[in-house]
Amino acid sequence: MSEIRLEIKDLCKTFGITKAVQNVSFNINKGEVHALIGENGSGKSTLTNMLTGIYSIDSGHFIMDGKEVHPKNQVEANNEGISIIVQELGTLSGLTVAENIFLGHEDMFVKAGIKNTNAMNRRANELLKEYGFDRIKASAYIDDYNFEDRKLVEIVKATYFKPKIVVIDETTTALSQEGREELYKQMDRIRSEGDTIIFISHDLPEVLEKSDTITVLRDGVYIDTVKSSDVTVDDLKRLMVGREVTGNYYRADYGEAISDEVVLTAKGLTVPGQIKDVSFTLHKGEILGFGGLSESGMHEVGKAVFGASYDRQGEVTLADGTHINDIPTAIKNSIAYTSKDRDNESVVMNQSIGENICLPSLDSLKGAGGLLSGKKMKDFADKFAKEMSVKMVNTDQFVSDLSGGNKQKVVLARWIGKDSDIVVLDSPTRGIDIKVKQDIYQLMDRMRKSGKSIIMISEELMELIGMCDRIIIMKDGEINGELMRSPEMDENTLIEKMV
Amino acid sequence: MATSVATKPGAMSQSSKLKGYLMLLFMVVLSWLIFKIITPGNFGSPSNLLSYFQSSLIAAVGAMGFYFVMVMGMFDFSIGANIMLSAIVGCVFASKFGMGYPGLVIGCVITGTIVGIINGMFYVRLRIPSMIVTTGLALVYESLANFFAGGSSQVLPSNLRALGQMPLNIILAFVAFCIAYTLLNYTKIGTYTYAIGSNEFVAKNMGINVDKFKVIAFMISGAFFGIMAIITISYGSSMLAVTGMQSMSRNFVPTMGCFFGMAFKKYGIPLQAIVIGEFVINIIFYGFIALGAPTAVQDVITGLALLIIVTLTTQVEKGEIVK
Repeated sequence: MSEIRLEIKDLCKTFGITKAVQNVSFNINKGEVHALIGENGSGKSTLTNMLTGIYSIDSGHFIMDGKEVHPKNQVEANNEGISIIVQELGTLSGLTVAENIFLGHEDMFVKAGIKNTNAMNRRANELLKEYGFDRIKASAYIDDYNFEDRKLVEIVKATYFKPKIVVIDETTTALSQEGREELYKQMDRIRSEGDTIIFISHDLPEVLEKSDTITVLRDGVYIDTVKSSDVTVDDLKRLMVGREVTGNYYRADYGEAISDEVVLTAKGLTVPGQIKDVSFTLHKGEILGFGGLSESGMHEVGKAVFGASYDRQGEVTLADGTHINDIPTAIKNSIAYTSKDRDNESVVMNQSIGENICLPSLDSLKGAGGLLSGKKMKDFADKFAKEMSVKMVNTDQFVSDLSGGNKQKVVLARWIGKDSDIVVLDSPTRGIDIKVKQDIYQLMDRMRKSGKSIIMISEELMELIGMCDRIIIMKDGEINGELMRSPEMDENTLIEKMV
Repeated sequence: MATSVATKPGAMSQSSKLKGYLMLLFMVVLSWLIFKIITPGNFGSPSNLLSYFQSSLIAAVGAMGFYFVMVMGMFDFSIGANIMLSAIVGCVFASKFGMGYPGLVIGCVITGTIVGIINGMFYVRLRIPSMIVTTGLALVYESLANFFAGGSSQVLPSNLRALGQMPLNIILAFVAFCIAYTLLNYTKIGTYTYAIGSNEFVAKNMGINVDKFKVIAFMISGAFFGIMAIITISYGSSMLAVTGMQSMSRNFVPTMGCFFGMAFKKYGIPLQAIVIGEFVINIIFYGFIALGAPTAVQDVITGLALLIIVTLTTQVEKGEIVK
């Protein structure tokens, strides 16, 4: 029988009147990858945030190797042998790579109060080399690296000191295949050394493949712990949602003709260093997919269409001849856009759910004297938050309190409220659980049927195949192929054109 | 996409630093040249330039300390009041208490440091914006200075003014520079200053005691304003305790220097930029005096020059959010 690494006993955490974690108890063993799954808002991240000192514990205990641990911050957690790689960006701008890696642990390079920067850089370079990330330089500004490389730095930061428990919180969705492979390699190493990984992911096939044991949470309550080898994806879905979830939640239709009516034409779109000579048309009631590797330029296409790219060349024209060159013109002409970088580019974190939903629709929410009507705003926010089933106390709650999936619901509620005719969705289901994914797919299908046109940019090939009428594959900033919806299409068809 | 690599203070690539220095040098030459052409007779001789430089060191010392506060995203409106109070206390210690130079140095630096600690403590305890806290406290410091000064101008005896003259003023400024440089690049304080300025929430999660380091930043800033007070009263010989927020006029020059530091942070030479930036400001200032331009015109052109310089040197990335 495996030895217990971590005992979680009667753990509770509340935020206001929201019970995020309720009397959760289960064990995690040494030398295993222990997945933690559940819908958005089920309490996974809250639980691991308590373990790593990001949140305080209301009541209950973490007992690691027989000793109670109660870290007050991440450095204390590190000192106890616990580290975390977070879902969003966890490195700090303005610091070097080395300073980020050793942040909070500088004392090992400090003598008589003076920090030995050279020794710190040298050690960081050694670590980066050990991990195979030689291209990242310790003395360089972290700002000079892209999201993916910064995640790799976080991997080094979280694992270089051989922690006993590493929490990987929904990190893989932020990584390309190459980045994922690097992460999996580190996960294998940690497990083989007898240490433990707590792995949070919404990608259930990935969970089954990479984990040994899976614990399911629902609405902050412990549901079950199962062996990965004993269950299927459908079993997990049922445990997460509490009822049967039909396996096929993508569109079931094939062979429907795309309307001849072109609503948007992109011609020769070029953004220096990002995309080159991208041309396509979007038809009424069509879902047009963009796929490719993370750095293929597909994410820039979304920005270019919305008028959010800098130095864009080429044209984006609507059916009535209107040119879209900037964001206000795009919004005025009923175009909506949701960014992949949800926290930084889509939601206003320090505003309420209601304010976020109402933001682009304020002109239609005026009352007497042209002043904003509080009642109209509240009704509007309540209506669309409800329509998107945002898990919240009320619309006055701050968006920063919400889980990743619920933030995404707020973003979508905003544009549904605006009733946009053309919707550009960049990675709409990134970091989102199975139930919300299903909601989003159903919403997209309803929008399509009601004549709305959607551009869906995604790194998840299955959802492109399952949802799109056409898929444009990007490679090295250029279009490398176009595929029509077909029941025969599989991931390999797309991958062939992507790499 | 391939990543380009630049480095940060302490480890910044030489080419990036060189670029920064060249830009600063260009500004010095340009500002000097403009006024030299307009008023060739009474401006910009080598001895004049040395005088401008000595004068610029006064504000540069304060700005170097203030940089720690500004990088963290905070502000200080009590700069002038701090300098005034510190200088008066130092002067009282040195002359009335007969403590001489030790009294001057200790009085100024200790007072400045205490003012910094008070600013920081009030800011972290009251949880209100630093601008509001320091504006309120500036009124208190002005009144205290007035009380210590007994309502009259405090004059530093002529035998105690060496710290405002060559070479001691330059040595004192150099020592201050070395301290600031070491704190910024070779201690945890520097790393945490940038970390808190970047993302306070993440910094907190990394175990950094954010409140403590904010107080430390104000403390460092206060101590440097204390050193600035030593040179100020030694250079100018006297200090009048003004009230009703009149001390705020002293905020401007150190703050401008600090803007230079912020603008040149990305070249890895923020402190050097503060020193040279203050020199540029003084060249412009003395250029206007040589021209005999009215104060209002001087202020308008100096303000515009600041905006142009910082705009040209900041080079904000496309899409970067500026607040």
